Amino acid sequence: MSNVVGIDLGTTNSLVACVRDGVPVVIRDSRGDALVPSVVSFAEDGTVYVGREAQRRLLTETGRTVYSVKRFMGRGVDDVVDEARRLPFRVSGEPGGVIRIGVGDREMTPPEISALVLRELKHRAEAFFREAGEFDFEVDRAVITVPAYFNDAQRTATRDAGRLAGLEVLRIINEPTAASLAYGLEASNRGTIAVYDLGGGTFDISILKVEDGVFQVLATNGDTRLGGDDLDAVLIEQVIGEACGGSAPPPDAVQAIRKAVIQAKQDLSEQDRTEIVVEPTPGMPGGYRATLTRERFEGLIRPLVERTLGPCRQALADAGVAAREIDEVVLVGGSTRVPLVRRAVEDLFGRRPHAELNPDEVVAIGAAVQADILVSGRREMLLLDVTPLSLGIETMGGVVSKLVLRNSTIPATGREMFTTGVDNQTAVDVHVLQGERELAADCRSLARFRLRGIPPMPAGLPRIEVAFQIDANGILSASARELRTGVEQTIDVKPSYGMTDEQVEQMLLDSFEHAEADFDARMLIDARNDAETVAQATEKALRRPDFDDVVAGELAAGELERIREALKALKAVLRGSDRDEILKQTSALNDATQHLAEVVMNRTVRAALAGRNVAEV
Amino acid sequence: MRAHFCPECDHILSLTRHGDYFAFFGLPRRLVLDPADLEQRFRRMSRQFHPDFFHNAAAAERLASLERSSYLNDAWRVLKDPATRVEYLLGLEGLAPAKESEGGAARGGVPAALLEEVFAFNEELDEIRAAREAGGDPHGLRARLERAREPIERKQRQYEARLAELSAAWDASHRRGTLEELRELFLERKYLRNLMETIERELQALPA
Repeated sequence: MSNVVGIDLGTTNSLVACVRDGVPVVIRDSRGDALVPSVVSFAEDGTVYVGREAQRRLLTETGRTVYSVKRFMGRGVDDVVDEARRLPFRVSGEPGGVIRIGVGDREMTPPEISALVLRELKHRAEAFFREAGEFDFEVDRAVITVPAYFNDAQRTATRDAGRLAGLEVLRIINEPTAASLAYGLEASNRGTIAVYDLGGGTFDISILKVEDGVFQVLATNGDTRLGGDDLDAVLIEQVIGEACGGSAPPPDAVQAIRKAVIQAKQDLSEQDRTEIVVEPTPGMPGGYRATLTRERFEGLIRPLVERTLGPCRQALADAGVAAREIDEVVLVGGSTRVPLVRRAVEDLFGRRPHAELNPDEVVAIGAAVQADILVSGRREMLLLDVTPLSLGIETMGGVVSKLVLRNSTIPATGREMFTTGVDNQTAVDVHVLQGERELAADCRSLARFRLRGIPPMPAGLPRIEVAFQIDANGILSASARELRTGVEQTIDVKPSYGMTDEQVEQMLLDSFEHAEADFDARMLIDARNDAETVAQATEKALRRPDFDDVVAGELAAGELERIREALKALKAVLRGSDRDEILKQTSALNDATQHLAEVVMNRTVRAALAGRNVAEV
Repeated sequence: MRAHFCPECDHILSLTRHGDYFAFFGLPRRLVLDPADLEQRFRRMSRQFHPDFFHNAAAAERLASLERSSYLNDAWRVLKDPATRVEYLLGLEGLAPAKESEGGAARGGVPAALLEEVFAFNEELDEIRAAREAGGDPHGLRARLERAREPIERKQRQYEARLAELSAAWDASHRRGTLEELRELFLERKYLRNLMETIERELQALPA
């Protein structure tokens, strides 16, 4: 039986967890590290690096390395102008279409890049299951988490990323809800909880009621553009102002500054003052150094932290719960390690928040628990989540008529009747939106539907009922029926900021082709590396100070010539792309140098032993 | 609970018609409900229908679970709030209050019962708006708005109490006249809510 996992696909870091023998476990690498930085670097030779290595390359391959891609999921290019300006990679796209991220000559959508991170997590989990001795270690199904305040387009983009990574996405669940599930495993079994989740790029607040194993979200609110990235940005601005005298530094220097301020921010969670140390880079050869106190840091970030309080109050009001009625407050997300954030939460709710579980890991654990519930059919626990934003359609005059109100428990439905305006009209256009504002222009456009196949009738006579369904993932679908004739209408969906199913299918096909190309590239690189190692070892032996002695005393006649020839032949093919030829010449050089290697080895051993007594050996 | 599953094979049944929310919960058509009991029913039924528990089931059952839990959630949202419960029952009894988009009493004329309050309120609001545009002191204007809100809030509390009274009266008698009174009351209540929203908007328009 293949395996299922829970994945926290974060703005800054991602991680994967699973349930084994009823116990949730976070999957770590050999060094015990659970976090995979959500960074992807595209090397010039076609190699793709994900995670720590990609993060290191931010300083050296700045323009070829992509991070914080979650901020672009399900968004249009007009939405992200400000954010894109801070980032070293190209962000483009047609107005009202999917964003394209450009690296070198490649153009990719945010789901494709997220898929590379997901694929890395999938491999990590597969290695874990293989080591655990599972006969079938494949990981092909996952629950993936998203910020609770993600809209339909952002959820759909996340699901697309999962599919592109070769995963069946069993469920999209909300990060704070997942965290509550992780806490609910150990905590007392009833009460009202607030989950405050400040991650790398997003902020969520959810108010839940837990009773009889049912985790019911009463209300949720948030800001999908507020997180640790923004705290960093304030500090980066500050350093640029002081170190570069107002002129814009080159991208590699910005990355060095970013790395330094993140370190300083983390230091200040433990100490009262720290040093910002910017390493020298070609773009900023002098580097930079300055002292930062916690007090100054808090002064800089206070407005951002206060921005989280409005959504908290709104969520409480929507839940019909007063702050003092909250029994437990749970902190999630790396940014909740910042002491000012903790104090703000404590002041608002009047109680000390929980932070027993690692705030970086609780979400993945909750996702794994949910994945286990889905495949095992266990019924002890049930998550009842809500839709974060009202769903509506555009009516006359650009006004939005709301069909499903925010904080409705999902799955949920909304219905609306449509008719025709012209005799024998056979199609009607419907514009679907998400948001709380009155006017369509102020809400988020989700999709335009075209209802086709309406039986020809005089204007105003058809009664077309459109049913909108929000499923347990918080994702929308629609169906339509003409009630007089009972004729089912076809609906053509044009997502406003996402891809159609056909586009995702095409990408999947392309990625299979690419997967083969990627695999070939990988094999070629491996062959070159092996060849390089053999060639270098041979050259090293030829440079030995005692080499003439070796040739005269121990090599057969013509042996040296044969070695030199094989080395020359290998070097001739080494940079080419014919992998078979590289392998052939590598093996030829190996054969030719076998005797030499023995001789050299013996001499080295003799030299090492000389001058030592037997006891030392 | 039995109504939702096949008596023969125990499989979840597809939702064939849009019955009524009361019946779905196994409740009589009553306007006064015990919130704790309703909530417990909701949780119990969620555990029965939720798509989480039908993940490995056949496609038809998965669909039935999605439909039934959607319907359950919709029913819960409407019945848990005493006012939306009244609105829903009025609809069932053929007395649906006009939708806002259709205008009618809710949007059109001022309900007679509220003429006095609305007149005073509108006068005050006009003055406050004029003062705001002329750059009047925001603190003073905020205080005036808060004062203007008081009589409206008082009226709202009266309406909530009356709504509860009439709800109990209908449960006891099932008289159509009571429903008609409820309908009037409901529309006036909606009018009051719109006034409150206007005040909120004005408060937000004031500089901090």
